[in-house]
Amino acid sequence: MDKSKRFFLKGAGALLAGMSAYQATRASEHSSPASQRKYALLHDENRCIGCDACTQACREVNQVPEGVSRLEIVRTGPHGEYPNQTYHFERQSCQHCENAPCVNVCPTGAAYKDPQTGIIKVDEWKCVGCLYCIAACPYKVRFIHPVTRAADKCDFCEQTRLSKGELPACVTSCPTQALVFGDLLDTQSGVYQLVRTQPVSRDKESLGTSPKLFKIRAAKGEVIL
Amino acid sequence: MNPFHFDGLVWHWPIAIYLFLAGMSAGAIFFAILLRYFCLGQDAWKSNFVRAACLIAPLAIWAGLGILVIDLTKPFDFWKILVFYNPLSVMSLGVMVLMVFQVFMFAWLALLFARPLTRLTASRMPFIGKFLAWLKPHEASITGLTMILSLSLGAYTGFLLSALPGYPLLNNPVLPVLFLMSGLSSGAAGALLLGVLMKGRPDSKEVKFIHKIEIPLILIELLVIFTFFAGLVLSGGAKLEAAGNALGQGFWGWIFWGGIIGLGLSLPLAMNLFMTASAQRRFSYVAFTASMSLLGVLLLRNFILYTGQMTML
Ligand code: SF4
Ligand code: SF4
Ligand code: SF4
Repeated sequence: MDKSKRFFLKGAGALLAGMSAYQATRASEHSSPASQRKYALLHDENRCIGCDACTQACREVNQVPEGVSRLEIVRTGPHGEYPNQTYHFERQSCQHCENAPCVNVCPTGAAYKDPQTGIIKVDEWKCVGCLYCIAACPYKVRFIHPVTRAADKCDFCEQTRLSKGELPACVTSCPTQALVFGDLLDTQSGVYQLVRTQPVSRDKESLGTSPKLFKIRAAKGEVIL
Repeated sequence: MNPFHFDGLVWHWPIAIYLFLAGMSAGAIFFAILLRYFCLGQDAWKSNFVRAACLIAPLAIWAGLGILVIDLTKPFDFWKILVFYNPLSVMSLGVMVLMVFQVFMFAWLALLFARPLTRLTASRMPFIGKFLAWLKPHEASITGLTMILSLSLGAYTGFLLSALPGYPLLNNPVLPVLFLMSGLSSGAAGALLLGVLMKGRPDSKEVKFIHKIEIPLILIELLVIFTFFAGLVLSGGAKLEAAGNALGQGFWGWIFWGGIIGLGLSLPLAMNLFMTASAQRRFSYVAFTASMSLLGVLLLRNFILYTGQMTML
């Protein structure tokens, strides 16, 4: 018995010592060529009137079936006293996190970041539908597409519009120009200028996700205790 | 709020069962190894409790994997998880651990049953005996690796959930330790229950050996559960809120206090102490205690999975 104990411990000890901890190495992003983009979107809540033109345009252009959505406008309010009442409208859609939890957890690499554009995309074919990314996304914007059975979400209209040189559907459909889309690496772009000069904020920044959906908060506030 | 359907719920009970089975498989092989080297020695393969553990380990992991695959939205594409890997993904790493674990588990099982296997296959398939003789010198490494892999598998069931940043209850460094501990005790309970069902003697030295380990294991589990929730409460904010939602009134509060702390941990602890003190071990005592432990672990997996998704950041 003693012999077998010692034998066992020796084997286990030797193996423990021999095993080196697995080092997770982050895929290194290569230095940027001229075509490098970092797309971002800004939602000015002061301009937004909550008309839902963007959500409808998104549904139509990207053929998003009923029951799921890539984009939602969440209305809160009314705030204030009659007759000076206001509503707040918040945009809920993929934030295209620079450090995206959905990409980190996906076992197959189906959720990935396009290194050329910074857009977080889904490879429908690679996705097995394990739902891990849906659970991991802190912004709760991912869903299973009822037809493809793969995870889906806003892709900045990369396939339907950007590839043809057009702006995203939600951006062009907005009657008040509350949405500004552009390249953060281009210092002349509207979105770069606004982010530099306006008091923008992003959701849940403390999680370290570095979202690329910027927001200018509604000016008329309401203290709710 | 309906305890099984609410906003933000992504993963349902099949995942809890998968986590339960994976933990039980890891725990069963862990205890089989302990029984072999610290209690029974060369003849361990003759013990019904060791045999029970050796049945549970592969069957539980296959059943668990089966549930996992069926639960995918594209079950027939499951092979893509085995072909494409993402080194940052806990799930991907877990699948790797699962695959390697199975290889070493079977190698260890083959060595455990080497003598009867060699004898049975001597005339018809002599190569099996040769293969086993070739494996034999590597027994120490195989055992050590199987042990380490079983512990990794047990902890992985917790890491899978703690890697989710949006849920304050799950995103908790203590969770892998908690799931590892409860996985080990479910393996022990499974081996005891199936062992006595397979006509193992309830007062045998295997049962005494397992009970002797189970008592400190349950105490550690209670301590880890306490640390888990104390950590949430002391962190304040969303973590405090998550702890309150989970432990407070309502369905899951009852499950926690009555099912997990009461039936799953305190009762088996009391029964184990009683059996150790009175030296009375009957079939009914052993089977009942083990069933309660298993129930407790199954409830714990469901409790953590559901209440964990109840509170979002
Ligand atoms: S918002 Fe969610 S889906 Fe979009 S990149 Fe971030 S984690 Fe992924
Ligand atoms: S559901 Fe698809 S995209 Fe999401 S983590 Fe699983 S395999 Fe990746
Ligand atoms: S960018 Fe395109 S996909 Fe994204 S919300 Fe706007 S319309 Fe929908």
